[in-house]
Amino acid sequence: MEQTMAISPLVMDISARFQEPDWLRQRRQEAWQTYTGMEAPRLEKTDLSRRSWEISSLTNTEKSISVSTQKVLSKLQGQPVVYIQDGQVVSTFVPDSLTRAGVLLSDLHSAVVEHGDLVKQYLNSVVSSEESKWAALNAAVWVNGVFLYVPDGVQVDSTIHYIYEFTGNAAGGAPHSLLVAGVGSHISFVEVLLAGDNLQFGKVHSDVLEVVAHSGAHVTVSCLTQYRKGPTHFTVRRARVDKDASMDWVFGDVGDGFTVGLLESDLQGDGARSTLHGFGLGFGRQHLDFTASMLHRGRYSESDIVMHGALRGRAYSLYRTSTHIFKHAVGAGSEQADRMVMLEPHARADAIPMLLIDENDVQRCGHAASVGRLDEEQVYYLESRGISRREATRMIVWGHIAPVVEAMPSAPVQELANELIDRELA
Amino acid sequence: MAVPIFVIRQLHVAVEGREIVRGLDLTVKGGEIHVIMGPNGTGKSTLASAVMGHPAYQVVSGQAQLDGQDLLSMSVDERARAGLFLAMQYPAEVPGVSNANFLRTAVNSRLGEGHEMPVIKFHRMLMEKMKKLSIDPSFADRYLNEGFSGGEKKRNEILQMGVLNPRIAILDEIDSGLDIDALKIVAQAVNNLRSPEVGFLIITHYQRLLQHIVPDYVHVMMQGRIVRSGGRELAERLEAQGYDWLKQELGIEDETVGAPA
Ligand SMILES: Nc1ncnc2c1ncn2[C@@H]1O[C@H](COP(=O)(O)OP(=O)(O)OP(=O)(O)O)[C@@H](O)[C@H]1O
Ligand SMILES: [Mg+2]
Repeated sequence: MEQTMAISPLVMDISARFQEPDWLRQRRQEAWQTYTGMEAPRLEKTDLSRRSWEISSLTNTEKSISVSTQKVLSKLQGQPVVYIQDGQVVSTFVPDSLTRAGVLLSDLHSAVVEHGDLVKQYLNSVVSSEESKWAALNAAVWVNGVFLYVPDGVQVDSTIHYIYEFTGNAAGGAPHSLLVAGVGSHISFVEVLLAGDNLQFGKVHSDVLEVVAHSGAHVTVSCLTQYRKGPTHFTVRRARVDKDASMDWVFGDVGDGFTVGLLESDLQGDGARSTLHGFGLGFGRQHLDFTASMLHRGRYSESDIVMHGALRGRAYSLYRTSTHIFKHAVGAGSEQADRMVMLEPHARADAIPMLLIDENDVQRCGHAASVGRLDEEQVYYLESRGISRREATRMIVWGHIAPVVEAMPSAPVQELANELIDRELA
Repeated sequence: MAVPIFVIRQLHVAVEGREIVRGLDLTVKGGEIHVIMGPNGTGKSTLASAVMGHPAYQVVSGQAQLDGQDLLSMSVDERARAGLFLAMQYPAEVPGVSNANFLRTAVNSRLGEGHEMPVIKFHRMLMEKMKKLSIDPSFADRYLNEGFSGGEKKRNEILQMGVLNPRIAILDEIDSGLDIDALKIVAQAVNNLRSPEVGFLIITHYQRLLQHIVPDYVHVMMQGRIVRSGGRELAERLEAQGYDWLKQELGIEDETVGAPA
C-alpha cells in the first residue's frame, strides 16, 4: 500500500484553534492516518456502505439553550456541571469543595492546557484509536467533551453532570470525554446528550467516553441520550475496571437515529465488578445497533447486564449483550437479560445474547432474552378496569423501563427522562 | 342514578372459529344476585370474557346491553367505564406496575379527566378497603398480581371491585383457591356491596360460597346456554346430586360445547 502523509486540514485546524501541544497534534495526525486507512467495516445487521463519513468543523451560530437543558440546569444550582453545545463550552461550574479535594473537572481542551500530563497519560488508553474506524475518527478530530479526575481516596458526594447538546447547526461532531477515578474514590457521573429535531443528514457523529476506575474505585456513569435522525452516530463508552473496583452503568436512549453503539466494561482487575442497566425507546425510522459488553479478564470478576427495549413506528433495534470470560478469569460470573417489546406492527427488534467462555472454572453464566409484542392479556386486564389502551401500553412499558430511570443518580435527569419517554408513549 | 340493568339476548360467541356460547339469554338487575353453575368447559368463562370484550372471543350474534347501552360496540375500557366489572378466573400479572398505581389510574379513568381523586384521599380509601379484605398493606406497592398466590389474586380482584364500584359485577370462580377464612372475607365484601346500585353475576362450582352469599337466581349452563334456572334450592340439589339427573331430564349426553372442530 502506498503511504501518503495526507495531512488533514480539519485536524490542522482543530490543533491550531486550540493551540495544542505537539504530542496531541501528532496523535491526531496518526489517528487520522488510521482512520483514512481503514475500510468501513461490514456489520452483520447494519449496512454502513452508503453512510457518509463527512465531518466538518463545528460552527455554532445559534447559542440558544434548549428548554430541556434550561430546565435541567436550573435544578443544578451550585452543583458540578459542564455544559457544552456543538463542541463549544457554554458553562462550567465546579464547587469549591471539589476543587479543595483536588477534583479536576473541566472541558477536555482546558484539561489539555492545565493538566496536559494527565490527559496525555489517559487519553485513548481505554478506547484505542486503532480499534475501529469511528474511534480513529474521534481520536483525530475530537472537539471538546468533559474531563474529570478524582484523586485517590476522594469521595465526591454530589453527582457530576455533563450536558452535551447538539443543535440543528451541528455538522456532525466528535465529543470525547475522559473520567479518571483514583484508587478507592467514589464518583457518580451523569451525561445527558440532547439533540435538536433538525440534525443535518449526511454527516457523521462519533462520540467516545473513556472511564478509568482504579483499584477499589466506585463509579456510576449514567447516560441519557437522544440519538436522533440525521447523521450516522457512532458511540463508544468503555470503562477499564481495576482490582476490586466497581463500575455501574445506567443507560437510556430515546431516539430515532441511525446509531452504532458500544457500552463496555473491561474488567481487568481481580474482583472487579460491573452492572449495566439500560433502556431504549426507539421510534420513527430508528436503526440502532447496540452492544452491551463485559470483558472478564480478572479473576472473580462479576457482571450483570439488563436491557429493556420498546419500539414504535418503524424503529429497528438490535441489542447484542456480550460476555467474554477470558482464560484465567477463574471464578468469574455473569448474567444477562434482554427484554424487547415491539409496540406497533412495523417495529422490529433483535436480541442477540453472546457468551464467549475461554475459562472452565466459572461461577455462573446465564442469559435470558425475549423479543415480542406487547402482552395482550396484560393490556386487556388493564383495559378491563377502565384504563385506555394507550394508557395501558404506557403503564406496561413504564413497568419495564422505570427501574432503569430510577437508577439514574440525578432527579432532574430522571425528570427529563420521564418527559422524553412520555412524549414518545403519549 | 337509576337501577342498573344488564341484558344478554341470544348471545353466540366463538373462539378460534368454534362456537362456545350458543344462544344465551340473561337479565341481571341492580340488587339481584345471579349465580351461574355448570360443569367444566360449558362456556361460563367464555360468556364472561365475551361480555367484557376479550379480543380472543368473537361475538357471532346476539346482544349485550348495560343500562340500554350496547356493550358490544364499545372497547373494553369503555365497557369498564360504563360500570361493567369482571373478576377474572385467571387474572394477568403485570410486572413493573404497582397495585396502587394501577388502581389509582383505574379509578381516575372512571372519574374522568379533571375529576381525579386526590392522591392522599385515594391512598386512605385504598388502605381502608385493603384492611377490610385482610390484605397486607405491602400489597399496595407490589407489582400487579406478580407472584401473588391463587388466593391473593382472588382477593385482589375483589379489592378492585370494591374500589371501582361497578354497576354490574361478574365474578368468575372467585371462590376457587380461597381458604375457608378468605372465602368468608370475600363473601362479606360482596354482601357489603350488595345494594340496588349493583347487580351480581357469580360463576361458581360450589354451594359453599352460596352459604355466605344468598343468591336470588341460580342458572345452570350446559352446551353454551342456560338450560335450567331456579332459586338457591337448585344449587343445593346440584351440590348434593351432581349434574346427572339434570342431564337425564334434558336428554343431554355431552354437556360441554363439544370437541373442537
Ligand atoms: N381462549 C380460548 N382459546 C381456545 N379455546 C378456548 C378459549 N377459551 C375457552 N375455550 C374453550 O371453550 C370451551 C369453554 O371454555 P370456558 O372456559 O368458557 O369453560 P368454563 O365453563 O368456564 O369451564 P370451567 O368450569 O372449567 O372454568 C372449552 O372447550 C375451552 O377449551
Ligand atoms: Mg371458567
